[in-house]
Amino acid sequence: MVTRKHNKASSYSRRVCRATSTYTHTRTHILISQLRTLLLIFGPSSSFNRTTPVYMSRDTSELTTTGFTVKAAMKNYRVVGPPPTGAFQERPAKPTTFRKFYDRGDLPIYLVHGTRPTITWKVDIETLDYNHYLPLFFDGLSETAHPYAFLARQGAEDLLDHGGDKILPVIPQLIIPIRNALNTRNHQVMCTTMKVLQHLVKSGDKVGEALVPYFRQILHIFDLFKDKKSKSSGVVRSHLQKPENIRELIPETLELLERTGGNDAFVHIKIMVPTYQSCVAYSP
Amino acid sequence: MPSTTDNNSKPKSMKRAKEWTAEVENLFRFQQAGYRDELEYLQFKHGVMIEKWPETGFVKKLQRRDNTFYHFSRRRECRDCDLHKVVVYGY
Repeated sequence: MVTRKHNKASSYSRRVCRATSTYTHTRTHILISQLRTLLLIFGPSSSFNRTTPVYMSRDTSELTTTGFTVKAAMKNYRVVGPPPTGAFQERPAKPTTFRKFYDRGDLPIYLVHGTRPTITWKVDIETLDYNHYLPLFFDGLSETAHPYAFLARQGAEDLLDHGGDKILPVIPQLIIPIRNALNTRNHQVMCTTMKVLQHLVKSGDKVGEALVPYFRQILHIFDLFKDKKSKSSGVVRSHLQKPENIRELIPETLELLERTGGNDAFVHIKIMVPTYQSCVAYSP
Repeated sequence: MPSTTDNNSKPKSMKRAKEWTAEVENLFRFQQAGYRDELEYLQFKHGVMIEKWPETGFVKKLQRRDNTFYHFSRRRECRDCDLHKVVVYGY
């Protein structure tokens, strides 16, 4: 009996305890939520100067959205521009065959260090096979490291100086190396390539006309960088060097291509560089 | 340039170039290749014809003593800062 009474009492007490514990649990919840509200109002992230009501008080600096969306029209969202495309970003060049051949000793040149570095040819240039060596040297124009960059540029210029009639049949093989060098978007490489391209055009009578069908492959970079300021624009590095300014080299190269390219050259240049103005006076 | 026709003549005087001329340009090219001037090159090569650019008259190609080649462009290569290095020999 006592036990029953005790059990009854205990069960009653347990029920009461459960009820009270639930009650206390609920009360605790209420207290916690109230504390949270107080924190929002008076806490470190709150602002007493806030004009918006408390129920909208939240940090809006992280609320970003892209343009032309429903959220862009809302007050609390900040419109962020599109991500950069990287059109002008420099791209690393792939390892060139020129470097591989030079390291193996297959190229008939070597560097002579003196008051000014020069290259010496192991054989007479006029006996060389231009179909093999000229594209190789043009491939080395993408290089930026010493001595590859110097050897490629100087070697290509020597080959173009002494090539004569041998250059014209090799032109189709030079287009891909020129395009690869220009696509690196490296300022120095682009300037060197444009100068070598000018040299190529001047090296023979019909070379300019032979290049016209390949304008679509090499002139898209000219359109991209035509109005871009270069870092070294107008700054002379030393009294021996002329400033290499892409904005000056591009029109210079395009004018040369137009002058030597024949009647169709301007049309093909205009397709790729729409803002280009002709430098040749056409007679009606 | 020496006016003597003796192939084994040696220079008696020398002076440094002060201003650039076509003669100084050619001397610069010969001295780059390791020779005093055209006379010594002809002595070394035993009368071989020196190739020159037709437009400018500058030396086009020279063979060094180790049988390697120096190829020069048709444009001026001797800069103003290199002028003082060019030696003009008197015979």
